[in-house]
Amino acid sequence: MFETFSEMWGFAFMRRAFVTTTVLSASVAPVGAFLVLRRLSLAGEAMAHAITPGVVIGFVVAGLSVFSLLIGGLIAGVGAAILTAFLARKTILRSDASLASIYLIALALGIFILSAAGSAVPLKSFLFGSILGIDDASMILVGGVATVTLLSFAVLLRPLITSTCDPVFFEAQTRRPMLIEQAFMLLLVLNLLAAFKTLGTLMAVGLMILPATSARYWSSTITGQLGLSFLFALASCWVGLTLSYLFPETPSGPAIVLTAGGFFLISVLLGPLGFGERLRKPSPKTSSSLTQPSTRERPQ
Amino acid sequence: MSTVLEVRNLALGYPGLTLFRGLSMDVERGTTLAVLGANGSGKSTFIKMLLGLMDPLAGKLTWPDGQPSEIGYLAQMTEFDRRFPIRVRDLAAMGAWKGFGLRGRLDSGTNAKVASALDAAGVLDIADRSLHTLSSGQLQRALFARVIMQDAPLILLDEPFTAVDQSTEAHLLSIINQWRDEGRAVILVVHDLSSVLDHCDQALLLGNGEARFGPVGEVLTPQRLVSQNYMSESQASWMFRGAAAEAVRV
Repeated sequence: MFETFSEMWGFAFMRRAFVTTTVLSASVAPVGAFLVLRRLSLAGEAMAHAITPGVVIGFVVAGLSVFSLLIGGLIAGVGAAILTAFLARKTILRSDASLASIYLIALALGIFILSAAGSAVPLKSFLFGSILGIDDASMILVGGVATVTLLSFAVLLRPLITSTCDPVFFEAQTRRPMLIEQAFMLLLVLNLLAAFKTLGTLMAVGLMILPATSARYWSSTITGQLGLSFLFALASCWVGLTLSYLFPETPSGPAIVLTAGGFFLISVLLGPLGFGERLRKPSPKTSSSLTQPSTRERPQ
Repeated sequence: MSTVLEVRNLALGYPGLTLFRGLSMDVERGTTLAVLGANGSGKSTFIKMLLGLMDPLAGKLTWPDGQPSEIGYLAQMTEFDRRFPIRVRDLAAMGAWKGFGLRGRLDSGTNAKVASALDAAGVLDIADRSLHTLSSGQLQRALFARVIMQDAPLILLDEPFTAVDQSTEAHLLSIINQWRDEGRAVILVVHDLSSVLDHCDQALLLGNGEARFGPVGEVLTPQRLVSQNYMSESQASWMFRGAAAEAVRV
Protein backbone atom coordinates (compact mmCIF):
# COMPACT_ATOMS: atom_id res chain seq x y z
CA MET A 1 0.00 0.00 0.00
CA PHE A 2 2.80 2.38 0.98
CA GLU A 3 4.57 1.62 -2.29
CA THR A 4 1.43 2.41 -4.22
CA PHE A 5 1.08 5.80 -2.56
CA SER A 6 4.77 6.48 -2.94
CA GLU A 7 4.48 5.66 -6.63
CA MET A 8 1.44 7.92 -6.94
CA TRP A 9 3.33 10.84 -5.35
CA GLY A 10 6.19 10.18 -7.72
CA PHE A 11 4.14 11.43 -10.65
CA ALA A 12 4.29 15.20 -11.08
CA PHE A 13 0.77 15.33 -12.57
CA MET A 14 -0.62 13.66 -9.45
CA ARG A 15 1.20 16.06 -7.13
CA ARG A 16 -0.12 18.99 -9.15
CA ALA A 17 -3.64 17.56 -8.98
CA PHE A 18 -3.45 17.15 -5.19
CA VAL A 19 -2.07 20.66 -4.67
CA THR A 20 -4.60 22.25 -7.02
CA THR A 21 -7.61 20.50 -5.52
CA THR A 22 -6.41 21.33 -1.99
CA VAL A 23 -6.29 25.04 -2.83
CA LEU A 24 -9.56 24.73 -4.76
CA SER A 25 -11.24 23.12 -1.73
CA ALA A 26 -10.24 26.06 0.47
CA SER A 27 -11.73 28.43 -2.10
CA VAL A 28 -15.00 26.72 -3.00
CA ALA A 29 -15.90 25.58 0.54
CA PRO A 30 -17.05 28.98 1.92
CA VAL A 31 -18.81 29.82 -1.36
CA GLY A 32 -20.63 26.48 -1.26
CA ALA A 33 -21.53 26.90 2.40
CA PHE A 34 -23.20 30.24 1.72
CA LEU A 35 -24.84 28.97 -1.47
CA VAL A 36 -26.57 26.36 0.70
CA LEU A 37 -27.37 28.76 3.53
CA ARG A 38 -28.74 31.38 1.11
CA ARG A 39 -30.89 28.66 -0.51
CA LEU A 40 -29.06 29.16 -3.81
CA SER A 41 -27.80 25.61 -4.29
CA LEU A 42 -29.59 25.14 -7.58
CA ALA A 43 -28.74 28.69 -8.66
CA GLY A 44 -25.07 27.71 -8.36
CA GLU A 45 -25.65 24.75 -10.66
CA ALA A 46 -27.48 26.97 -13.12
CA MET A 47 -24.74 29.57 -13.04
CA ALA A 48 -22.16 26.88 -13.83
CA HIS A 49 -24.01 26.21 -17.07
CA ALA A 50 -24.63 29.89 -17.75
CA ILE A 51 -20.90 30.62 -18.06
CA THR A 52 -20.49 27.98 -20.78
CA PRO A 53 -21.01 30.21 -23.85
CA GLY A 54 -18.50 32.78 -22.53
CA VAL A 55 -15.90 30.09 -22.00
CA VAL A 56 -16.58 28.56 -25.41
CA ILE A 57 -16.46 31.88 -27.24
CA GLY A 58 -13.22 32.71 -25.39
CA PHE A 59 -11.83 29.37 -26.51
CA VAL A 60 -12.92 29.80 -30.13
CA VAL A 61 -11.50 33.33 -30.29
CA ALA A 62 -8.30 32.98 -28.29
CA GLY A 63 -7.70 29.26 -27.80
CA LEU A 64 -7.72 27.21 -24.64
CA SER A 65 -5.91 29.70 -22.39
CA VAL A 66 -6.65 30.63 -18.81
CA PHE A 67 -7.04 34.26 -19.83
CA SER A 68 -9.70 33.55 -22.47
CA LEU A 69 -11.52 31.25 -20.06
CA LEU A 70 -11.46 33.88 -17.30
CA ILE A 71 -12.59 36.82 -19.44
CA GLY A 72 -15.21 34.89 -21.40
CA GLY A 73 -16.57 33.17 -18.31
CA LEU A 74 -16.68 36.36 -16.27
CA ILE A 75 -18.58 38.23 -18.96
CA ALA A 76 -21.07 35.38 -19.38
CA GLY A 77 -21.49 34.83 -15.63
CA VAL A 78 -21.90 38.46 -14.68
CA GLY A 79 -24.15 38.99 -17.73
CA ALA A 80 -26.37 36.08 -16.68
CA ALA A 81 -26.53 37.37 -13.09
CA ILE A 82 -27.47 40.90 -14.20
CA LEU A 83 -30.06 39.64 -16.69
CA THR A 84 -31.57 37.33 -14.06
CA ALA A 85 -31.83 40.14 -11.51
CA PHE A 86 -33.32 42.45 -14.16
CA LEU A 87 -36.01 39.96 -15.21
CA ALA A 88 -36.84 39.12 -11.59
CA ARG A 89 -37.28 42.77 -10.66
CA LYS A 90 -38.99 44.08 -13.77
CA THR A 91 -41.18 41.16 -14.86
CA ILE A 92 -43.53 38.62 -13.34
CA LEU A 93 -40.87 35.85 -13.30
CA ARG A 94 -39.17 34.96 -10.03
CA SER A 95 -35.38 34.81 -9.95
CA ASP A 96 -35.24 30.99 -10.06
CA ALA A 97 -37.36 30.85 -13.21
CA SER A 98 -35.40 33.71 -14.78
CA LEU A 99 -32.08 32.03 -14.06
CA ALA A 100 -33.34 28.66 -15.30
CA SER A 101 -34.47 30.23 -18.59
CA ILE A 102 -31.18 32.02 -19.10
CA TYR A 103 -28.92 29.11 -18.21
CA LEU A 104 -30.79 26.74 -20.51
CA ILE A 105 -30.38 29.16 -23.39
CA ALA A 106 -26.74 29.78 -22.45
CA LEU A 107 -25.89 26.08 -22.19
CA ALA A 108 -27.46 25.28 -25.56
CA LEU A 109 -25.73 28.30 -27.09
CA GLY A 110 -22.37 27.19 -25.69
CA ILE A 111 -22.69 23.63 -27.01
CA PHE A 112 -23.95 24.96 -30.37
CA ILE A 113 -20.97 27.33 -30.77
CA LEU A 114 -18.54 24.62 -29.73
CA SER A 115 -19.97 22.19 -32.29
CA ALA A 116 -20.28 24.80 -35.05
CA ALA A 117 -16.67 25.89 -34.57
CA GLY A 118 -15.54 22.30 -35.15
CA SER A 119 -13.51 22.36 -31.98
CA ALA A 120 -10.49 20.14 -31.58
CA VAL A 121 -11.13 20.03 -27.86
CA PRO A 122 -13.52 17.20 -27.08
CA LEU A 123 -16.83 18.09 -25.52
CA LYS A 124 -16.02 15.69 -22.70
CA SER A 125 -13.18 17.94 -21.54
CA PHE A 126 -15.60 20.87 -21.22
CA LEU A 127 -18.16 18.83 -19.38
CA PHE A 128 -15.90 16.92 -16.97
CA GLY A 129 -12.65 18.90 -16.84
CA SER A 130 -9.13 17.50 -16.84
CA ILE A 131 -7.67 17.65 -13.37
CA LEU A 132 -4.85 15.26 -14.21
CA GLY A 133 -3.72 17.48 -17.06
CA ILE A 134 -3.63 20.73 -15.12
CA ASP A 135 -1.04 23.23 -16.36
CA ASP A 136 0.85 26.07 -14.63
CA ALA A 137 -1.54 28.78 -15.81
CA SER A 138 -4.55 26.89 -14.45
CA MET A 139 -2.82 26.40 -11.10
CA ILE A 140 -2.14 30.11 -10.94
CA LEU A 141 -5.80 30.78 -11.76
CA VAL A 142 -6.95 28.51 -8.94
CA GLY A 143 -4.45 30.10 -6.52
CA GLY A 144 -5.45 33.62 -7.53
CA VAL A 145 -9.16 32.91 -7.19
CA ALA A 146 -8.60 31.24 -3.81
CA THR A 147 -6.67 34.28 -2.57
CA VAL A 148 -9.38 36.69 -3.73
CA THR A 149 -12.11 34.48 -2.27
CA LEU A 150 -10.55 34.03 1.17
CA LEU A 151 -9.66 37.72 1.46
CA SER A 152 -13.19 38.68 0.40
CA PHE A 153 -14.72 36.36 2.98
CA ALA A 154 -12.44 37.80 5.65
CA VAL A 155 -14.00 41.20 4.95
CA LEU A 156 -17.54 40.22 3.99
CA LEU A 157 -18.27 37.40 6.42
CA ARG A 158 -20.23 39.49 8.91
CA PRO A 159 -22.54 41.19 6.37
CA LEU A 160 -22.90 37.87 4.55
CA ILE A 161 -24.07 36.21 7.76
CA THR A 162 -26.49 39.01 8.56
CA SER A 163 -27.89 39.26 5.04
CA THR A 164 -28.35 35.50 4.82
CA CYS A 165 -29.96 35.03 8.24
CA ASP A 166 -32.25 38.05 8.15
CA PRO A 167 -32.27 39.81 4.76
CA VAL A 168 -34.91 42.37 5.70
CA PHE A 169 -33.02 43.40 8.83
CA PHE A 170 -29.83 43.64 6.76
CA GLU A 171 -31.54 45.83 4.15
CA ALA A 172 -32.61 48.16 6.94
CA GLN A 173 -29.05 48.30 8.25
CA THR A 174 -27.18 49.29 5.13
CA ARG A 175 -27.65 51.72 2.31
CA ARG A 176 -26.54 49.42 -0.50
CA PRO A 177 -27.59 45.88 0.45
CA MET A 178 -27.32 44.68 -3.15
CA LEU A 179 -23.53 45.12 -3.01
CA ILE A 180 -23.16 42.02 -0.84
CA GLU A 181 -25.30 39.93 -3.17
CA GLN A 182 -23.38 41.15 -6.21
CA ALA A 183 -20.02 40.51 -4.54
CA PHE A 184 -21.13 37.01 -3.62
CA MET A 185 -22.33 36.26 -7.16
CA LEU A 186 -18.98 37.50 -8.50
CA LEU A 187 -17.14 35.16 -6.11
CA LEU A 188 -19.40 32.34 -7.27
CA VAL A 189 -18.55 32.97 -10.93
CA LEU A 190 -14.83 33.22 -10.16
CA ASN A 191 -14.87 29.93 -8.27
CA LEU A 192 -16.86 28.22 -10.98
CA LEU A 193 -14.21 29.31 -13.46
CA ALA A 194 -11.45 28.04 -11.17
CA ALA A 195 -13.23 24.71 -10.85
CA PHE A 196 -14.16 24.63 -14.55
CA LYS A 197 -10.74 23.57 -15.79
CA THR A 198 -10.35 20.91 -13.15
CA LEU A 199 -13.84 19.46 -12.85
CA GLY A 200 -15.75 20.76 -15.90
CA THR A 201 -19.13 22.47 -16.13
CA LEU A 202 -21.09 19.44 -14.96
CA MET A 203 -18.99 18.64 -11.89
CA ALA A 204 -17.78 22.11 -10.78
CA VAL A 205 -20.72 22.81 -8.50
CA GLY A 206 -20.53 19.34 -6.98
CA LEU A 207 -17.41 20.25 -5.01
CA MET A 208 -19.19 23.37 -3.71
CA ILE A 209 -22.58 22.00 -2.76
CA LEU A 210 -22.06 18.43 -1.54
CA PRO A 211 -19.41 19.23 1.13
CA ALA A 212 -21.59 22.14 2.30
CA THR A 213 -24.77 20.07 2.53
CA SER A 214 -22.81 17.32 4.32
CA ALA A 215 -21.45 19.85 6.83
CA ARG A 216 -24.99 21.10 7.45
CA TYR A 217 -25.83 17.76 9.10
CA TRP A 218 -22.99 18.03 11.60
CA SER A 219 -22.70 21.65 12.71
CA SER A 220 -25.01 24.26 14.19
CA THR A 221 -22.52 27.11 13.90
CA ILE A 222 -21.16 29.11 10.99
CA THR A 223 -17.58 28.35 12.01
CA GLY A 224 -18.31 24.63 12.05
CA GLN A 225 -20.17 24.88 8.77
CA LEU A 226 -17.24 26.57 7.02
CA GLY A 227 -14.59 24.35 8.58
CA LEU A 228 -16.39 21.10 7.87
CA SER A 229 -17.26 22.16 4.32
CA PHE A 230 -13.54 22.59 3.68
CA LEU A 231 -12.62 19.27 5.30
CA PHE A 232 -15.28 17.38 3.34
CA ALA A 233 -14.21 19.06 0.08
CA LEU A 234 -10.55 18.30 0.79
CA ALA A 235 -11.23 14.68 1.72
CA SER A 236 -13.41 14.26 -1.39
CA CYS A 237 -10.59 15.51 -3.62
CA TRP A 238 -7.89 13.41 -2.02
CA VAL A 239 -9.93 10.21 -1.86
CA GLY A 240 -11.35 10.79 -5.35
CA LEU A 241 -7.94 11.38 -6.89
CA THR A 242 -6.51 8.33 -5.15
CA LEU A 243 -9.37 6.17 -6.43
CA SER A 244 -8.83 7.60 -9.88
CA TYR A 245 -5.17 6.61 -9.68
CA LEU A 246 -5.81 3.14 -8.28
CA PHE A 247 -8.49 2.43 -10.88
CA PRO A 248 -7.21 4.03 -14.08
CA GLU A 249 -10.54 3.70 -15.87
CA THR A 250 -12.16 5.95 -13.26
CA PRO A 251 -12.50 9.59 -14.44
CA SER A 252 -11.09 11.86 -11.74
CA GLY A 253 -13.79 14.57 -11.73
CA PRO A 254 -16.75 12.24 -11.23
CA ALA A 255 -14.66 10.21 -8.72
CA ILE A 256 -14.19 13.36 -6.61
CA VAL A 257 -17.86 14.32 -6.76
CA LEU A 258 -18.99 10.73 -6.10
CA THR A 259 -16.75 10.65 -3.04
CA ALA A 260 -18.35 13.91 -1.91
CA GLY A 261 -21.69 12.17 -2.50
CA GLY A 262 -20.54 9.33 -0.25
CA PHE A 263 -19.73 11.79 2.53
CA PHE A 264 -23.19 13.30 2.02
CA LEU A 265 -24.91 9.93 2.47
CA ILE A 266 -22.85 9.20 5.58
CA SER A 267 -23.75 12.64 6.95
CA VAL A 268 -27.45 12.16 6.28
CA LEU A 269 -27.38 8.83 8.12
CA LEU A 270 -25.02 9.61 10.98
CA GLY A 271 -24.95 13.40 11.37
CA PRO A 272 -26.58 14.73 14.56
CA LEU A 273 -28.78 17.02 12.47
CA GLY A 274 -29.68 14.21 10.07
CA PHE A 275 -30.98 10.80 11.10
CA GLY A 276 -28.02 10.29 13.43
CA GLU A 277 -29.70 11.61 16.54
CA ARG A 278 -32.80 9.53 15.91
CA LEU A 279 -30.69 6.42 15.38
CA ARG A 280 -28.78 6.98 18.61
CA LYS A 281 -31.84 7.78 20.71
CA PRO A 282 -34.27 4.99 21.41
CA SER A 283 -37.81 5.55 20.20
CA PRO A 284 -39.98 7.28 22.84
CA LYS A 285 -42.57 4.51 22.45
CA THR A 286 -40.13 1.82 23.53
CA SER A 287 -38.14 3.86 25.97
CA SER A 288 -38.53 4.28 29.67
CA SER A 289 -38.04 8.01 29.06
CA LEU A 290 -41.84 8.15 28.68
CA THR A 291 -41.91 8.79 32.36
CA GLN A 292 -39.30 11.55 32.04
CA PRO A 293 -40.48 13.94 29.38
CA SER A 294 -37.73 15.70 27.46
CA THR A 295 -37.21 19.36 28.21
CA ARG A 296 -35.95 19.99 24.71
CA GLU A 297 -38.33 22.04 22.60
CA ARG A 298 -39.55 20.89 19.27
CA PRO A 299 -37.67 22.54 16.38
CA GLN A 300 -39.84 24.85 14.30
CA MET B 1 -41.17 65.51 24.57
CA SER B 2 -39.31 66.20 21.37
CA THR B 3 -40.25 65.11 17.90
CA VAL B 4 -38.26 62.31 16.30
CA LEU B 5 -40.05 62.33 12.98
CA GLU B 6 -42.45 64.64 11.14
CA VAL B 7 -44.61 63.19 8.38
CA ARG B 8 -46.44 65.56 6.04
CA ASN B 9 -49.04 64.75 3.37
CA LEU B 10 -47.73 61.25 2.91
CA ALA B 11 -49.12 59.00 0.18
CA LEU B 12 -47.97 55.41 0.09
CA GLY B 13 -48.42 52.60 -2.38
CA TYR B 14 -47.10 51.09 -5.55
CA PRO B 15 -47.32 52.16 -9.18
CA GLY B 16 -51.01 51.94 -10.04
CA LEU B 17 -52.08 51.30 -6.43
CA THR B 18 -52.34 53.96 -3.74
CA LEU B 19 -52.74 52.42 -0.29
CA PHE B 20 -53.47 55.70 1.49
CA ARG B 21 -52.81 59.41 1.11
CA GLY B 22 -52.81 62.63 3.11
CA LEU B 23 -51.13 61.35 6.29
CA SER B 24 -49.56 64.05 8.50
CA MET B 25 -48.28 63.23 11.96
CA ASP B 26 -45.49 63.82 14.46
CA VAL B 27 -43.76 60.91 16.18
CA GLU B 28 -42.68 62.02 19.65
CA ARG B 29 -40.00 60.59 21.88
CA GLY B 30 -41.33 58.64 24.85
CA THR B 31 -44.50 57.54 23.09
CA THR B 32 -45.83 54.32 21.62
CA LEU B 33 -47.73 54.44 18.35
CA ALA B 34 -49.86 51.49 17.24
CA VAL B 35 -50.38 50.95 13.52
CA LEU B 36 -53.57 49.04 12.74
CA GLY B 37 -55.43 48.12 9.62
CA ALA B 38 -56.88 45.31 7.60
CA ASN B 39 -54.60 43.03 5.59
CA GLY B 40 -53.17 44.91 2.63
CA SER B 41 -53.91 48.34 4.07
CA GLY B 42 -50.21 49.29 4.06
CA LYS B 43 -48.99 48.66 7.62
CA SER B 44 -45.79 46.80 6.74
CA THR B 45 -45.29 49.05 3.72
CA PHE B 46 -45.44 52.05 6.06
CA ILE B 47 -42.76 50.47 8.28
CA LYS B 48 -40.53 49.70 5.30
CA MET B 49 -40.93 53.27 4.06
CA LEU B 50 -39.78 54.57 7.46
CA LEU B 51 -36.74 52.30 7.19
CA GLY B 52 -35.91 53.80 3.80
CA LEU B 53 -36.52 50.53 1.97
CA MET B 54 -39.06 52.17 -0.33
CA ASP B 55 -40.02 55.69 -1.39
CA PRO B 56 -43.41 57.30 -0.72
CA LEU B 57 -45.63 58.20 -3.66
CA ALA B 58 -45.90 61.74 -2.29
CA GLY B 59 -45.23 63.70 0.89
CA LYS B 60 -42.27 64.46 3.04
CA LEU B 61 -40.45 62.96 6.03
CA THR B 62 -38.45 65.31 8.25
CA TRP B 63 -36.11 64.26 11.07
CA PRO B 64 -35.85 67.38 13.32
CA ASP B 65 -32.78 66.06 15.18
CA GLY B 66 -31.25 64.52 12.07
CA GLN B 67 -31.97 61.07 10.70
CA PRO B 68 -30.93 58.54 13.37
CA SER B 69 -27.95 56.38 12.44
CA GLU B 70 -29.78 53.43 13.91
CA ILE B 71 -33.47 52.52 13.75
CA GLY B 72 -34.45 49.53 15.84
CA TYR B 73 -36.33 47.05 13.69
CA LEU B 74 -38.16 43.80 14.21
CA ALA B 75 -39.50 42.31 10.98
CA GLN B 76 -42.29 39.79 10.72
CA MET B 77 -41.05 36.35 11.70
CA THR B 78 -41.99 34.94 8.30
CA GLU B 79 -39.09 36.88 6.78
CA PHE B 80 -36.52 35.22 9.03
CA ASP B 81 -34.49 32.07 8.29
CA ARG B 82 -35.01 29.99 11.41
CA ARG B 83 -32.64 27.25 10.27
CA PHE B 84 -29.64 29.53 9.98
CA PRO B 85 -26.78 28.02 12.03
CA ILE B 86 -26.13 30.62 14.72
CA ARG B 87 -26.73 30.79 18.45
CA VAL B 88 -29.12 33.04 20.32
CA ARG B 89 -26.27 35.24 21.61
CA ASP B 90 -24.94 35.71 18.04
CA LEU B 91 -28.38 36.82 16.89
CA ALA B 92 -28.56 39.40 19.68
CA ALA B 93 -25.02 40.62 18.90
CA MET B 94 -26.16 41.34 15.34
CA GLY B 95 -27.95 44.35 16.79
CA ALA B 96 -24.60 45.99 17.55
CA TRP B 97 -23.31 45.21 14.07
CA LYS B 98 -22.88 48.87 13.12
CA GLY B 99 -20.85 49.45 16.27
CA PHE B 100 -18.15 46.90 15.57
CA GLY B 101 -18.27 47.12 11.78
CA LEU B 102 -16.94 44.61 9.29
CA ARG B 103 -13.92 43.29 11.16
CA GLY B 104 -14.10 44.56 14.74
CA ARG B 105 -14.14 41.90 17.44
CA LEU B 106 -16.77 41.71 20.14
CA ASP B 107 -14.99 43.10 23.17
CA SER B 108 -15.87 42.32 26.77
CA GLY B 109 -18.05 45.45 26.97
CA THR B 110 -20.15 44.36 24.00
CA ASN B 111 -20.39 40.82 25.34
CA ALA B 112 -21.63 42.22 28.66
CA LYS B 113 -24.26 44.28 26.79
CA VAL B 114 -25.34 41.19 24.86
CA ALA B 115 -25.73 39.26 28.12
CA SER B 116 -27.70 42.12 29.62
CA ALA B 117 -30.00 42.33 26.57
CA LEU B 118 -30.57 38.56 26.61
CA ASP B 119 -31.36 38.76 30.33
CA ALA B 120 -33.84 41.60 29.78
CA ALA B 121 -35.54 39.59 27.04
CA GLY B 122 -35.63 36.47 29.23
CA VAL B 123 -33.41 34.27 27.07
CA LEU B 124 -30.04 34.41 28.85
CA ASP B 125 -30.39 30.79 29.95
CA ILE B 126 -30.66 29.64 26.32
CA ALA B 127 -27.97 31.97 24.96
CA ASP B 128 -25.91 29.12 23.51
CA ARG B 129 -28.79 27.28 21.86
CA SER B 130 -29.14 27.17 18.09
CA LEU B 131 -32.00 29.11 16.58
CA HIS B 132 -33.63 26.05 15.04
CA THR B 133 -34.25 24.57 18.50
CA LEU B 134 -36.25 27.59 19.71
CA SER B 135 -39.99 27.91 20.02
CA SER B 136 -41.70 30.90 18.38
CA GLY B 137 -41.86 32.75 21.69
CA GLN B 138 -38.19 32.15 22.47
CA LEU B 139 -37.17 33.31 19.01
CA GLN B 140 -39.24 36.47 19.35
CA ARG B 141 -37.59 37.19 22.71
CA ALA B 142 -34.16 36.70 21.11
CA LEU B 143 -35.13 39.13 18.34
CA PHE B 144 -36.22 41.63 21.00
CA ALA B 145 -32.76 41.23 22.56
CA ARG B 146 -31.31 42.22 19.19
CA VAL B 147 -33.49 45.35 19.13
CA ILE B 148 -32.28 46.18 22.65
CA MET B 149 -28.71 45.90 21.36
CA GLN B 150 -29.51 48.38 18.59
CA ASP B 151 -30.03 51.05 21.27
CA ALA B 152 -32.01 53.22 18.83
CA PRO B 153 -34.12 56.34 19.46
CA LEU B 154 -36.83 55.05 17.10
CA ILE B 155 -37.98 51.43 17.21
CA LEU B 156 -40.20 49.78 14.60
CA LEU B 157 -41.89 46.47 15.42
CA ASP B 158 -43.83 44.64 12.71
CA GLU B 159 -46.38 42.31 14.32
CA PRO B 160 -44.26 41.53 17.41
CA PHE B 161 -46.92 39.42 19.15
CA THR B 162 -47.71 36.99 16.35
CA ALA B 163 -47.45 33.33 17.42
CA VAL B 164 -46.38 34.08 20.99
CA ASP B 165 -48.20 33.01 24.15
CA GLN B 166 -49.80 35.36 26.67
CA SER B 167 -46.91 35.39 29.14
CA THR B 168 -44.40 36.13 26.38
CA GLU B 169 -46.63 38.92 25.06
CA ALA B 170 -46.83 40.41 28.53
CA HIS B 171 -43.03 40.27 28.87
CA LEU B 172 -42.51 41.87 25.45
CA LEU B 173 -45.02 44.59 26.31
CA SER B 174 -43.07 45.34 29.49
CA ILE B 175 -39.93 45.79 27.37
CA ILE B 176 -41.83 48.15 25.05
CA ASN B 177 -43.04 50.14 28.07
CA GLN B 178 -39.46 50.39 29.29
CA TRP B 179 -38.33 51.71 25.90
CA ARG B 180 -41.04 54.36 26.12
CA ASP B 181 -39.96 55.28 29.66
CA GLU B 182 -36.37 55.65 28.41
CA GLY B 183 -37.59 58.30 25.95
CA ARG B 184 -37.55 56.20 22.79
CA ALA B 185 -40.33 56.36 20.21
CA VAL B 186 -41.87 52.95 19.48
CA ILE B 187 -44.04 52.25 16.43
CA LEU B 188 -45.63 48.81 16.38
CA VAL B 189 -47.88 47.08 13.91
CA VAL B 190 -50.47 45.08 15.83
CA HIS B 191 -53.73 43.25 15.24
CA ASP B 192 -54.94 42.80 18.80
CA LEU B 193 -56.87 45.85 19.98
CA SER B 194 -56.54 44.98 23.67
CA SER B 195 -52.76 45.37 23.64
CA VAL B 196 -53.17 48.70 21.86
CA LEU B 197 -55.79 50.15 24.19
CA ASP B 198 -53.79 49.33 27.32
CA HIS B 199 -50.25 50.11 26.22
CA CYS B 200 -50.17 52.60 23.34
CA ASP B 201 -50.46 56.38 23.44
CA GLN B 202 -51.34 57.01 19.82
CA ALA B 203 -52.79 55.06 16.95
CA LEU B 204 -52.57 55.14 13.18
CA LEU B 205 -55.53 53.41 11.56
CA LEU B 206 -55.10 52.48 7.90
CA GLY B 207 -57.71 51.18 5.52
CA ASN B 208 -60.11 52.06 2.76
CA GLY B 209 -57.53 54.43 1.28
CA GLU B 210 -57.40 56.55 4.42
CA ALA B 211 -54.96 57.07 7.29
CA ARG B 212 -56.20 58.36 10.66
CA PHE B 213 -53.70 59.42 13.29
CA GLY B 214 -54.22 60.63 16.85
CA PRO B 215 -54.64 59.56 20.47
CA VAL B 216 -55.85 55.98 20.79
CA GLY B 217 -59.24 56.97 22.23
CA GLU B 218 -59.97 59.38 19.36
CA VAL B 219 -58.83 57.18 16.47
CA LEU B 220 -60.06 53.75 17.48
CA THR B 221 -63.74 54.53 17.61
CA PRO B 222 -66.25 51.85 16.56
CA GLN B 223 -67.34 53.89 13.54
CA ARG B 224 -63.83 54.33 12.22
CA LEU B 225 -62.86 50.72 12.83
CA VAL B 226 -65.87 49.67 10.74
CA SER B 227 -65.60 52.35 8.04
CA GLN B 228 -61.92 51.59 7.49
CA ASN B 229 -62.66 47.87 7.13
CA TYR B 230 -60.78 46.88 10.28
CA MET B 231 -63.76 44.97 11.62
CA SER B 232 -67.39 44.28 10.80
CA GLU B 233 -70.32 46.03 12.51
CA SER B 234 -71.16 42.90 14.48
CA GLN B 235 -67.56 42.56 15.67
CA ALA B 236 -67.49 46.24 16.68
CA SER B 237 -70.84 45.84 18.48
CA TRP B 238 -69.45 42.94 20.46
CA MET B 239 -66.13 44.62 21.24
CA PHE B 240 -67.72 47.94 22.22
CA ARG B 241 -70.79 46.32 23.76
CA GLY B 242 -70.79 48.88 26.57
CA ALA B 243 -71.22 51.71 24.08
CA ALA B 244 -74.50 52.87 22.58
CA ALA B 245 -75.63 50.88 19.52
CA GLU B 246 -75.77 53.98 17.32
CA ALA B 247 -72.11 54.66 18.08
CA VAL B 248 -71.20 51.46 16.24
CA ARG B 249 -73.38 51.97 13.14
CA VAL B 250 -71.68 53.65 10.21
